[in-house]
Amino acid sequence: MTFQHRARVLAATTAALLAAPACSTGSSDGDTAAGSGTEKIKIALSNSFIGNTWRVEMENVFKAACGMPPYKDQVECSVYNAGNDAATQNRQIANLIAQGVDAIVINAASTTGLNGTVQQACDRDIVVVSFDNTVGNPCGLTVNTDQIKFGEQLAQFVVDELGGTGNVMMVTGVAGTGADNDRNAGAKKVFAANPGIKVVATYSGMWDSATAQRQTAAQLPSQPKVDGVWVSGGTDGVIKAFIEAKRPMPVVGGEAENGFRKYLAGVSEPKVNGMSIGQPPYLSVISLELARAVVKGEHDKKSITIPFPMVNSETVKVGETVFPDLPDSFFADFTDSGPEATVVLCQEAATDGTPCPGELTVRLGA
Amino acid sequence: MKQALLVLTGTYTTYLLVYTTSLGHLPTPFDYLSLLNTCLPLIFVAIGQSLVVLTGGIDLSVGGIMSLGIAIIAARGGTATAALTVLIICTACGVLNGLLVARGRIAPILTTLATLSIFSGLALRTLPVPGGSIDPGLRAVLTHPDVPTGLIWLGAAVGGWLVLRRTRFGMRIYAVGSDEAAARATGIPVVRVKVGVYGLCGLCCGIAAVLYVSATTSGDPNAGMPFILTSIAAVVVGGIAFTGGRGSALGAMAGAVALTLVTDVLFFAGIDPLYQSLFQGLFLVVAVLLGSGAVLAGNRRRAAA
Repeated sequence: MTFQHRARVLAATTAALLAAPACSTGSSDGDTAAGSGTEKIKIALSNSFIGNTWRVEMENVFKAACGMPPYKDQVECSVYNAGNDAATQNRQIANLIAQGVDAIVINAASTTGLNGTVQQACDRDIVVVSFDNTVGNPCGLTVNTDQIKFGEQLAQFVVDELGGTGNVMMVTGVAGTGADNDRNAGAKKVFAANPGIKVVATYSGMWDSATAQRQTAAQLPSQPKVDGVWVSGGTDGVIKAFIEAKRPMPVVGGEAENGFRKYLAGVSEPKVNGMSIGQPPYLSVISLELARAVVKGEHDKKSITIPFPMVNSETVKVGETVFPDLPDSFFADFTDSGPEATVVLCQEAATDGTPCPGELTVRLGA
Repeated sequence: MKQALLVLTGTYTTYLLVYTTSLGHLPTPFDYLSLLNTCLPLIFVAIGQSLVVLTGGIDLSVGGIMSLGIAIIAARGGTATAALTVLIICTACGVLNGLLVARGRIAPILTTLATLSIFSGLALRTLPVPGGSIDPGLRAVLTHPDVPTGLIWLGAAVGGWLVLRRTRFGMRIYAVGSDEAAARATGIPVVRVKVGVYGLCGLCCGIAAVLYVSATTSGDPNAGMPFILTSIAAVVVGGIAFTGGRGSALGAMAGAVALTLVTDVLFFAGIDPLYQSLFQGLFLVVAVLLGSGAVLAGNRRRAAA
């Protein structure tokens, strides 16, 4: 065996191994014994990618919810991850159909790649609810937030705090994704409607704190006066760049990173004036509730849009919407807050999927 | 080839076992049909990849060509004309690869890495966000959701390969892969053979793209990407030598089906999601070991002769 041959075999093996994690499997989390005596309904979560904090939190709160009443007695849950490969997720959903589940909750690897299999689930009267990265096939239901509003609300906050005049920087997300397009469009509309606001720089932070910090640090020397920043993701990184450059802290409209909220609450120094909105990981729990309610005939077969969980420097509360003992990269919006809260979950639910004490109430809204 | 059949049989038996244990009955026609329709695109990309590997090359741009094909057919409403256009464009993409590799004498891995970016960029330009559609009539012919029309295409693939292998072109593929210098010395037009092989690989990606859009009913401009590594994995499981000249596209087809079945095995075995990639990796290691075992045994036999 020549060296070249060995190298080629090695390269092939590496490629083969790299391909492996794209595929997957699942495990059943629910107990099979029906506690209340009636038949439990079977609901499966089919997730695609599981390599970031948000997705882990999303699955954890789903598992936690399944362990809390009323779900504990009514629903048999299972969780599957497919990686970012639509073919694998298609196989999983086909297998779930074969298993005869009552409902499938999906965060899709591709908005369109699952349409065929989802149609087959619908044809067999299985309730399909997708969230976050939703499925395009209209036979399924969706639970999501309005990303245009995300951009608008944060931009409006920055405009209001600045009294309608000032220099603003926009830190955008990953180009080519629907959420990034919508968030930017919403923000630009609001800034354009306020002639006193000047958008002095627009650059991508890739929804990543480290990248956002590096890019902001690179921008700051050419921006003598920055009054406000609008951040689509990686907000704590942007703030750190301002601190390191010893620049006055602007008004910040940003995502729901725990690190950002620590600055809003004054847990981290300096205290920042800002507003935090996020795509909540508990979308999985809302989808679970919608699937359960539709299977039980308690809710119309209708998609829902939920409001964003939102806090600002005044309303942020330690232990409820910001968590000093959790890492900066954690998404602090795993639970909603306030009297109109969609759903309230405990810290342990998000960190390791432990059910919270008491009963879980989910408001599906109108 | 033997190794691939062994792996496929083993995987299928395990699938039957875990499926029956889990659900209490044998797989239904629905299971086989959905398996067939999910497998088909990978089967075709694996055939294309195996042709290139047989010449001692590798094609990383299969993902880009497939994405471009998917984008074009989905953006054009999935008509039969659009499907034909896709086949022509994808073949042209493959021919471009072949010309760069054979005429330009650039290493296949570098050439196709570069063209991968070009083709996937064009795909994003054609279909910026996932969407588009497929003509229901065309879908009924390609991958009918209730009738196994996919078997026709599977049969055509197997038949096509069996014929190709016996043609002069087919034998030249093996000759070029075994020893390019010797092939050139005996008067084989190496450049033409390579251009043909990369062109055929492009055509296979085009067919895969059409079948993918048909199975999922719409397009995603990034959908081809996972097929780069899975097609290489299928070739590995199929026991095709990366040195070129040894192996059969049938092996890669069996490898593609086995890889898809592994997903199902892990699903019904109820393996914890945290261990899933571990098991996937183990499966590939075993398959690769079987392959290099066969190669070593072959070498020894030849050395003895």
